[in-house]
Order: sequence, then structure tokens, then C-alpha cells
Amino acid sequence: MIDVHALTKSFGPRQALAGVDLHVAPGECVVLCGPNGAGKTTLLRILATLARPTSGVVRIAGLDPAKAGAEVRQHIGFLSHRTLLYDDLTAEQNLAFYARMYAIPDAQARIDGLLERVGLTARRHDLVRTYSRGMQQRLAVARAVLHRPALVLLDEPYTGLDPLAADALTALLTDLTGEGCTLLLTSHNLQSDVTLNRRAVVLNRGRIVYDVPHTDAATFPALYRELVQESRIKNYESANPEPANGLTGEWADHELRITNYESSLQNPKSKIQNPSFFRQVWAIVAKDIAAELHTREIFSAMFVFAVLALLTFSFALDLRGSLAQAAAPGVLWATIAFAGTLGLSRSMAREQQTGGIEGLLLAPVDRAALFFGKALGNLTLMLAVEVALFPLAMVMFNVGLLRGGVLLTALLGTVAYAAVGTLLSAIAVNTRAREVMLPILLLPLLTPLLIAAVKATDALLEGATWAEIGGWGQILVVYNLIIIAAALLTFSYVIEE
Amino acid sequence: MPKKGLVDSVLAGLSVVAFLVALGMVFFYAPREATMGEVQRIFYFHVASAWVGFFGFFVTFAGGVGYLATNNRRWDILAFSSAEVGLVYISMTLVTGMLWAKPAWGTYWTWEPRLTISAVQWLLYVAYVMLRGSVFSPEREARFAAVYGITAFATVPLSWFAIRWWRTIHPVIVSGAGMALTPKMIHTLLVSIAAFTLVYVTLLRQRIALEHERDRLAALRLHDEAAAL
Repeated sequence: MIDVHALTKSFGPRQALAGVDLHVAPGECVVLCGPNGAGKTTLLRILATLARPTSGVVRIAGLDPAKAGAEVRQHIGFLSHRTLLYDDLTAEQNLAFYARMYAIPDAQARIDGLLERVGLTARRHDLVRTYSRGMQQRLAVARAVLHRPALVLLDEPYTGLDPLAADALTALLTDLTGEGCTLLLTSHNLQSDVTLNRRAVVLNRGRIVYDVPHTDAATFPALYRELVQESRIKNYESANPEPANGLTGEWADHELRITNYESSLQNPKSKIQNPSFFRQVWAIVAKDIAAELHTREIFSAMFVFAVLALLTFSFALDLRGSLAQAAAPGVLWATIAFAGTLGLSRSMAREQQTGGIEGLLLAPVDRAALFFGKALGNLTLMLAVEVALFPLAMVMFNVGLLRGGVLLTALLGTVAYAAVGTLLSAIAVNTRAREVMLPILLLPLLTPLLIAAVKATDALLEGATWAEIGGWGQILVVYNLIIIAAALLTFSYVIEE
Repeated sequence: MPKKGLVDSVLAGLSVVAFLVALGMVFFYAPREATMGEVQRIFYFHVASAWVGFFGFFVTFAGGVGYLATNNRRWDILAFSSAEVGLVYISMTLVTGMLWAKPAWGTYWTWEPRLTISAVQWLLYVAYVMLRGSVFSPEREARFAAVYGITAFATVPLSWFAIRWWRTIHPVIVSGAGMALTPKMIHTLLVSIAAFTLVYVTLLRQRIALEHERDRLAALRLHDEAAAL
């Protein structure tokens, strides 16, 4: 199921993985141990296709993630440190969203079954933000196995769980192995039911230092401490010449599962449909709208901010009479620009909060669908704010904004703004100065758009037709084309690790 | 002397000579402009620094494309170094522009579109440099910067169109009817541009070398830390 050879991963000069070789057969349950900073999470993230290796070979179910990313992701379930759930959606909405992203055919039945299995049926309509840590973790497990993955990667799955929740998780993982699912999990708990009597791989300083075919309570914890404390690095092959072959006892049983699972992988698409591009785009838009309808957080903030901006400009520039009419296009577009910055920033922060963006990256989603989905969600929000803002601006500045040309200009300007804003907010949200970075990055880029939008609106309000505004309309159209093309080409570089 | 050091020394020497020649031509060869007088001489620095400032941004764009295509750190270093050097030049463009504007237009700053685009260019450079200092992972920093450099550069032609279609009070140096400069002025301008470009290449190479040294130092530190454990 997993074949890794000479895998390295560097973060600048720091090498997180320094030549890892690992083979995990289908149906195996392998525990990955190691001290903090050993490279466990990095290895799991590479296997989950969330991070790119610096060098080396990675194969999942015989497929190269770099070439068949979407197909590989159909086979992988990943439980991260973070829940990868949306706080502002209910448990059922979260699972339904991911079911659409994976195009699960019997989605409702699968969701009902999983919610029952993780004991959340009674709370299925509650927002995830109201759940305890343990409940969130149970739901995260349901999300990770929703699409019946052949390989489940679990990064410290027991973190934050009380003993009862830990027992429930252990039972679930045992069931998964019983169903022939391959498990690779990291854990610091060396004496739990899950880590004992399993194959354990010890990672230290980015290298596999030991591969124990069968852990036992009497010797493994002591051996592990000795390995880590003394950094007694052993060559993987010499320490374990036959890591996953020639197995006896319990491992013979694994071979049976392996055979079963290989037969199911002969036709990996038998239960999986290829999610359609437009369905995925719509699922992301619908998810964003549903989250916003639950909170109304972004719309309210943008609208109130826009009203404050209009008032502030009016006071500061003493806009009255004909002066107000002349200044209206500029003030209006500046207001849209500032309010839009606020909304875009919050929208992407919502994705990052609990790792939702990683959940999307784990799904077999075309990166272009991801961009269009987020951009359309942001566009919907911005247009909603403009629908509320325009009547107010008409009253305040005594201008007739409800004209075909003005509305077309507003639409073109807003589409371009949402496109470039989505790209740059995905960057800004990953920076230290995230609160202020988006306007710093975005506003200089908006210069031609704002000039063209203001000049076009100005001319249209003075009675010109769309044909008469000439170059300004062309700039708006070309800006849209350039920005959307640039965003489509580069968005995957921004959102992937 | 290693070959690289020799190239740098020759470049530095050429830069100094070219700069001195350009200075001499600006003050002793180029004629006094009839309308604006002596202050017009700043034009040779203004245009030359603007050219290098915009060229530096193109190199940043090219470095970004190269980095995304190859994942090779050398391209990222080229992009970053060019942005830093370019920022110095575009700052020089703004300052010389303002010094020229005061006697010519009676004010240090006016919202004339071409001045505005230089200011926007400066802001793009500043945003690029700020972004580089605000990302946690070096790999992500390089990717984000490449994406920003590419997207920002893609909007530059549109900014120019927006400016051309806006009413302008900037002197038209190049127009369809030909250059409003005498041959001596053109010679001086070309030498100034060549000198500024040479200085840009010299600074760029030094900045790239510095970044490589930083990488080496970081690697050595990590090695020492690992050995100490």
C-alpha cells in the first residue's frame, strides 16, 4: 500500500526527513514512533499528499501522488492534529460537504451510519463549534474514513481524548483493520491497545532507526527509550532484513487481509465516482454560504464597515451637492475595496481555523475547482454587500446607480476583485502579519482595476453608454482575464504546503 | 583570484567608470535644456533609475516563474535579490522625480498618473519584500513571493494603459512624432542607462552571493547543532 524510498524533505536548510525507506503492505497496521521533531508528521503529510517531498520516491497503492494526485487521494483518509472540520457547520453538513467532494454515491446512508458509529447522531444538527474536543475528534475520524479509504493515516489520534473517547477510537480503529484497511498512525503512547502487538517503526532525526515487527509491553517501551535517548541509529535494512515479508502468526492473518484488499484495489473506482468539476465548485460555494448563514459574521462586518467608510469619506471630504455626486464613483469603489479586504481576509481565515483548507486538499479536488469555489463564494458575499450598499449610496450621494452599465461595471470590478483577493488572501492568511498583510499585498495590485472602475462609473453616471466608455471597459475585461489566468496557474502553489 | 571574484571585480570597476563617465556627460556634455534649465539634468538619473527599477521587477517576475517551474532555490534568490535592488532604484526614481517636480510643476508631488504608477511600483516592491519577511517556512516564502511577483508583474501593462488614457501633465519624452531630445541629450541618456544597469548587475551579483553565504551559514549552524546533540 505504501512504498517509500530514499525520501527526503527539507525546510530551507533544515532537513526533516533524511532518506526514509518504508514499505507497508495492504491491511497492515503500523505504529510510527519517535520523539518530537523526529519527522513523523512530515512523513504522514507527504503520504497524505499534503506536502511535496524534496526528493525520493513515494507510491501509494502503486500510484505516484505527483502524477495521479486525485486518484491517490481517493484512497487516503487522514486524521491530522487539527480536525479539518468547519466550526460554523453542523456535523451532518460537514460530512455532507466532504461526501460531495468525494462524490460518495450512498452519501446519506454512509453519513447516518458513521454518525451512529461515532455516537453523534443525537448532536448531528449542532454546530461543530459547540462540540467538546473529544466529540470533534470522533467526528474528525468519521470525516477521515467517510469515503472508505484503503489507507488511513492518523497523526496522534488520541490527543485530547478522555479514556472513554480513547476506547471508542481504539474500537473504531480495530474495526477498520478488521475490514482490511491499512493504518499508519503516530503515537507517543507506547503501551496502549493500539500500539502494542503491532509493527512499530521508530523515526529519529528524519531517519528510520528501528523497525520492530511485533511490539510487546515488556520490552518495547524500554527499547524505544534506549533508541531515542542514545540515538543508536541502525540501518533500517540491517536491523530488519525482512520488514514485512515472511510473516507468521498474527501477520499471516494480515496476509489474508492483504489478499482481500488487493482484490478490492483491482478496481479502485468500483465504489468511487470521479467528482464532477462543477459539482465540486458548487459544493464549496454552498458550504461557504451555509457557514455564513449560520453566523452572518462576514456579511455583517463587511456591510457595517462599508457604511462607516461611506460616512467617514463624507465627513472627511465634506461631500455635499454636486461635489457629492462628482465624488460618488471614487468613494463607492474605495468603500468596496476596503470592505472587500475585510471580508476576503475573514473568509480565508475561516478555512484555516481548523484546517478546512487541508480537508479540501485531501479530497480529490481539482485545484482549479478549489479556486473557483472559493472565489465564487467570496464574490457572492461581496455582491450581497453591494446590493445592500448601493441604495444607501444612492440616497447619500444623490446618484442613480441602478443603470445597466453601472451594474455591469460593478459586476466586472467585483469579479476581478474576488479573483485576485482570493489568491492573495490565501497567501496573507499564512503570514505572521496576516491582519494587515492582505491590504498591503492587494491594494497596489488593484490600481488599474480601481482607476478603470472609477472612470467607467463616472462616465456612465454622466450619461455615457457602455460603448462610449471605450478603454475603461476593456481594461476591466482584460484585468479579469489576466488575473483569473494568473490565479489558475498559481493557486495550487499557494495552497499546497 | 577565483573566476567569480575576478568577474565581480571587473564589474565593479566598470560600474565606477561608467558612472563617472555618465556624471561627466550629464554635467559637461549634455546641453542646458531651454525651458527647465539646469534642473532638467536630473532627468538622466530619473529615467535611468526608472528603467532599472522596472527591469528589476521583470527579473523578479522571471525568477518567480523559474522557481515555480524548477523548485530551484537559485531562481528564488535571483528574484528576491532583484526585488531588493530594484526597490532601491525605484525609490531613487521617486525622489529624483519629486526634486524635478518642485521647480517644474511648483510642487514636490502631484497625482500625475506616471508619478502615481512609480509610487504603485514602489508599493508593489515593498509588499513583496514585506511578504518575504512574514512567512514562516522558507519554502512557502519562496513560493508565495514567486506567485506575488508574477501576479503583480502581470498587472503592470494594464497600469500603463490606464495611465496613458488618463489626462497627464508629465513631459512627453517619447511620442509617435519622435524624441523631444537633442542628439547629445540622447547620448547622455543612453550612457546613464548603461551605467545604472551596470551598477544594478553588480549589486545584484553581490546580493545573490550574500544570500548564498546565508544559506551556507544556516547549514553550518544546523550541522553544529546536530553534532552537539
